[in-house]
Amino acid sequence: MDASIRLRVDGQWRTLDVDTRTTLLDALRERLGVTSPKKGCDHGQCGSCTVLLDGRRAVTCLALAVAHDGAEIVTAEGLADGEDLHPVQRAFLEQDGLQCGYCTPGQVCSAVGMLEEVKAGWPSQVTEDLAGPPELDDEEIRERMSGNLCRCGAYPNIVAAIRQGAR
Amino acid sequence: MRPLEYRRAEDPRRAVTAVAGRPGAMFLGAGTNLVDHLKLGVARPDLLVDVSHLPYDKIEPRPGGGLRIGAAVRNSDLAAHPLVRQHYPVLAQALLSGASPQLRNLATTAGNLLQRTRCPYFQDVTTPCNKREPGTGCSALEGYNREHAVLGASEHCVAVHPSDMAVALTVLDAEVRVLGSGGERTIPITELYRLPGDRPDRDTVLKHGDLITAVDLPGLPMAAHSAYRKVRERASYAFALVSVAAAVQVRDGAITDARVAFGGLAHKPWRAYRAEEALRGVRVSAAPGDTLAEATTAAPIAAGGAASTGENAGGTSTVEDLRAAADAELADARPLAHNAFKIPMARNTFVAVLRGLLREEGATR
Amino acid sequence: MTVEAARRGGEALGDSALRPDGVLKVTGEFAYSSDLWADDMVWGVTLRSPHPRARITGIDVSEALAVPGVHAVLTHEDVPGEKFYGLEHHDQPVLAIDQVRYQGEPVALVAADHPETARRARDRIRVGYEVLEPLTDARRAALDPSYPKVHGDRSNVVRHQPIRVGDMAHARRVAEVVVRGEYEVGMQDQAFLGPESGLAVPAEDGGVDLFVATQWLHVDQEQIAPCLGLPTGRVRLTLAGVGGAFGAREDLSMQIHACLLALRTGRPVKIVYGREESFFGHVHRHPARLRYEHGATRDGRLVYVDAEIVLDGGAYASSTSAVVGNAASLGVGPYEVPNVRLDAYGVYTNNPPCGAMRGFGAVQACFAYESQMDKVAEACGLDPVEVRIRNAVAEGSRLATGQVIDMPAPLAAMLEDARAFPAPPPTGTADVRDLPGGVSNTTHGEGVRRGVGYAVGIKNICYSEGFDDHSTARVRLETVGGEPAALVHTAAAEVGQGLVTLQAQIARTELGVRQVTVAPADTGVGSAGSSSASRQSYMTGGAVRAACEAVRERVIELAEERLGRSLPGASLHDGRVVAADGLAVASLAEVLAGRAVEETREFRHRRTTALDPLTGQGDSHVQFAFCVHRAVVDVDVELGLVKVVELAAVQDVGRILNPLALEGQIHGGSAQGLGLALMEEIQVRDGVVRNPSFTDYLIPTILDMPPMRTRILENADPHAPYGLRGAGEPPTLSSTPAIVAAVRDATGRPLTRIPVRPEHISCG
Repeated sequence: MDASIRLRVDGQWRTLDVDTRTTLLDALRERLGVTSPKKGCDHGQCGSCTVLLDGRRAVTCLALAVAHDGAEIVTAEGLADGEDLHPVQRAFLEQDGLQCGYCTPGQVCSAVGMLEEVKAGWPSQVTEDLAGPPELDDEEIRERMSGNLCRCGAYPNIVAAIRQGAR
Repeated sequence: MRPLEYRRAEDPRRAVTAVAGRPGAMFLGAGTNLVDHLKLGVARPDLLVDVSHLPYDKIEPRPGGGLRIGAAVRNSDLAAHPLVRQHYPVLAQALLSGASPQLRNLATTAGNLLQRTRCPYFQDVTTPCNKREPGTGCSALEGYNREHAVLGASEHCVAVHPSDMAVALTVLDAEVRVLGSGGERTIPITELYRLPGDRPDRDTVLKHGDLITAVDLPGLPMAAHSAYRKVRERASYAFALVSVAAAVQVRDGAITDARVAFGGLAHKPWRAYRAEEALRGVRVSAAPGDTLAEATTAAPIAAGGAASTGENAGGTSTVEDLRAAADAELADARPLAHNAFKIPMARNTFVAVLRGLLREEGATR
Repeated sequence: MTVEAARRGGEALGDSALRPDGVLKVTGEFAYSSDLWADDMVWGVTLRSPHPRARITGIDVSEALAVPGVHAVLTHEDVPGEKFYGLEHHDQPVLAIDQVRYQGEPVALVAADHPETARRARDRIRVGYEVLEPLTDARRAALDPSYPKVHGDRSNVVRHQPIRVGDMAHARRVAEVVVRGEYEVGMQDQAFLGPESGLAVPAEDGGVDLFVATQWLHVDQEQIAPCLGLPTGRVRLTLAGVGGAFGAREDLSMQIHACLLALRTGRPVKIVYGREESFFGHVHRHPARLRYEHGATRDGRLVYVDAEIVLDGGAYASSTSAVVGNAASLGVGPYEVPNVRLDAYGVYTNNPPCGAMRGFGAVQACFAYESQMDKVAEACGLDPVEVRIRNAVAEGSRLATGQVIDMPAPLAAMLEDARAFPAPPPTGTADVRDLPGGVSNTTHGEGVRRGVGYAVGIKNICYSEGFDDHSTARVRLETVGGEPAALVHTAAAEVGQGLVTLQAQIARTELGVRQVTVAPADTGVGSAGSSSASRQSYMTGGAVRAACEAVRERVIELAEERLGRSLPGASLHDGRVVAADGLAVASLAEVLAGRAVEETREFRHRRTTALDPLTGQGDSHVQFAFCVHRAVVDVDVELGLVKVVELAAVQDVGRILNPLALEGQIHGGSAQGLGLALMEEIQVRDGVVRNPSFTDYLIPTILDMPPMRTRILENADPHAPYGLRGAGEPPTLSSTPAIVAAVRDATGRPLTRIPVRPEHISCG
């Protein structure tokens, strides 16, 4: 069954008819040609498809497109202003926080969303004092980024990149 | 996937009617578990009623103490809420140890409660599974069952419940508010989940069309002194092998009240009543630590080991008492071919969590 | 030189040049094979066997063909050319013929206008199976001639490689200390994040253009064309973006299938595997059982090694023969051992096929021999580093194969360096977040033990055993917009290792130009060989340098013509021809005068020889590389949890070409070794994979990966371009045994099987 939905993707409103079974990830990739979010597992187990969904980082492979009619989506592509990279993207590039790059758009979106969460004072699993505001040290960065797998193991440089991007 | 009708619910009662009246209908929250099951062919609904936009997205203090958590509250919002962090740290910790941040930003309270087992046979539609297709048999019983149940299992199903949050809610004596065809009712969370018995297809006592609208937490001062620990094979973003949620109250050097639940051991979050009973009255020695390690390296934990320090008035150490309490609960544990390790692991996690809480208690007094 | 110091130093050789494809990768605009799209394209899916061993009694595709939207359904009968392919042995059917030999073996293909339609049609193909008992005992397959055969009359032993050195009977009499061990290595998956995928486009000449993520375009081409019944030239391959490889893209996956469907339907065909299918779509690291006996003198000098290594190759050979060659030739490690009896076997079973993964046969052996070295140390009352130093090879040492190491091998010094790394601070009770398990508030250090472990590995670089390996580069220098610009064209696969960065660095350095473009890799230029065996810096780096040198010679000739004098010893710098005295004599723009200079060169490494089939003697390897790891772990002995506190690595790379990318390779190799040590294993029961998902097959997260220290040495290999040494694999070898040694140190447990599970530590 088809449904007509509107999505604001990287600043542009797009209208499309989707089968109700279509995930947000497939709607972006197959229907709108937005291939910046990657499909690494399609089951919420790798984080490669992470975008900012209504301002928060979210995986798109386990969300039905039809349930997000009217949503605002920012992908890694939309974080950059043409050639002008987002500071977090620049940091990934300069710190070599990537190798094959397949997980990178998801890492970048996740990092941007994560920095906002820290700003909002959200705790993480490694935040010792749940009552106070978290401090973004390396251990916090690592726990908070643990939903984005990188098989190339660029992890030390990703930590460095996020440290740089957080400044 | 079969063709699927989608409706966004605007009204709770009509949502209930829509699902109750159609066998192939299901509620949709964020979908982080259900969409996975659609892809795997584990769930085959013909109608999804999206309840994530219903006005159940608030966390509110209850008159007389406690919190009401809306069914559509996102896991990340719940974990970050100041009242939860302050009064129910076990809940915040359980939530933060589950899934990944970008899943927690989607996942809802009700969806988390109703997530289904991660048993690989349940998720593989080419294999027999009584939970997925009643009567076909249990593949895990004689198959690869390292992650499976050691408590309360049946010959029909040895799956475990995967939720961390539900384990925390279990020690908090949370109540689940349900809207059904017959109106509203409240179910204690300890009665929400079922053991598999001969109907492993039913995870909970909910009827088709029952909609969870909220979770109520009682005002529970001892919950401010609570903790959750999850043991798994990597540091983050993995399901529990074993987990323990606990809260304790200490008065005059002895445990006066304790609540403990295990995750990863059974078809439901396992409230450890027998252990709680055994914990009451345990005297807390000055140093409730430092002893288990020596006991564990010389001889495996099962041997019990000798406690050398921190003796209390009764001549036994607190750690020994903690271990005895865990043993009381785990006496009925029955391992499968590949998961015998879960029993000592559960005992040691139990001791570690309680020991930590008692140490904190000592530090704050 | 630290990475920080080198960063932004420029983009020539030795600088931390940033990735030219990096901007597209951080925005997600870089096109991976799964991102490809063509108008009119249809989707291909694969029907796979649910059984590890069965006879096919019939295949009925009629119902599938009747599904609206279906364009083609193919079985082995539709394969027009050769029915079998393979890297070393052509033993693998394009589509199963009459029988299946592993769970997941491709049986039929469907092309349809939508992937969901294709899947629905696939479910309507009726295959009759007569299910047979799977043959899954690798040791019996190796040693028991009565064990049933996986491939008809063919022996189950794909390769048996013995090594025989010295006089074992005498050695046994002389040895004062004997230690024995049996070890097991689980089946590891490469688990690249970008699943197998590609797009095949039928061409007007009756051929096909394939855009695919692979490690070696030409070896794909050589295997695909015969199966399609086409001459090689009509199967053209272009490298699409590669989402990681690690060996898993050495073998074909969807290549022939997509081409078959494209040729049959006349439409572009896209195939993309899902994660579960990916677990069945590529080979894995060979699981291994290893039995070792080491004899030594009381002062810790090795007298002999007696070993048996059984590698389970699964249903098809893939690169099992070469993996056996590595396990055998490197099986005693980087140690001088006067007497060796070693037998390495690679066998057929009905388990999942196994082949290349980073470290390639050297990984399995390294876990065993390094575990043994710790036992020798213990038996002799020696420090684990000391026992390794006493036996370490050096330049001039003779390996068990008789090959003499004729390049620097400063292993003893590397071990000293590893030992000299400052110790990470002890885990206090102050920061409980640093404790194993990482969960807040409940553990305060009770039962947490610190452990330290060391390990070394030796890895061959480039293809071995007489393989005539080469790489090809075409380099063109011309003026673009008034500026000299170089175009580098090779068929070498950028898989994330930074090869395009390096190619550009070489061209910049050799040709003295700023503007360098690396053309997309395709079969329009000669083979570059595989992005495997840590060989591309050496081989394609060598080819690009050779082509650049040829271009430079011609440019200097042009300058000589233009200036009317000879320019002995001239070079190119900063867009100018510079005479031997250091003075610029002409700009490149003037010299080129609108012309382009283009040269193509093939680069070959020095020849190697086969191993003697009875004694294992031979100069089989091109180059040796070494890495030493020190692992520091905290183990919660109550819960069996391990936290790797720090990994430190010492590696000799001959010459640092790009410090930033090099560090990344060491991090990545170490991370994959950590995964094998502590969590990664494909669970196979009776030939059936039980965990084909990232929920059940766990790879390390960023939280599992500790901070790393690295010390990188530059002892040039005189035989290699720029003196470099391949770098990608060695860290994968030593990381695993170092971590396990550290866990042993903390717990006193024997830990003979990897991955180490909590129950092996405390809850058994």
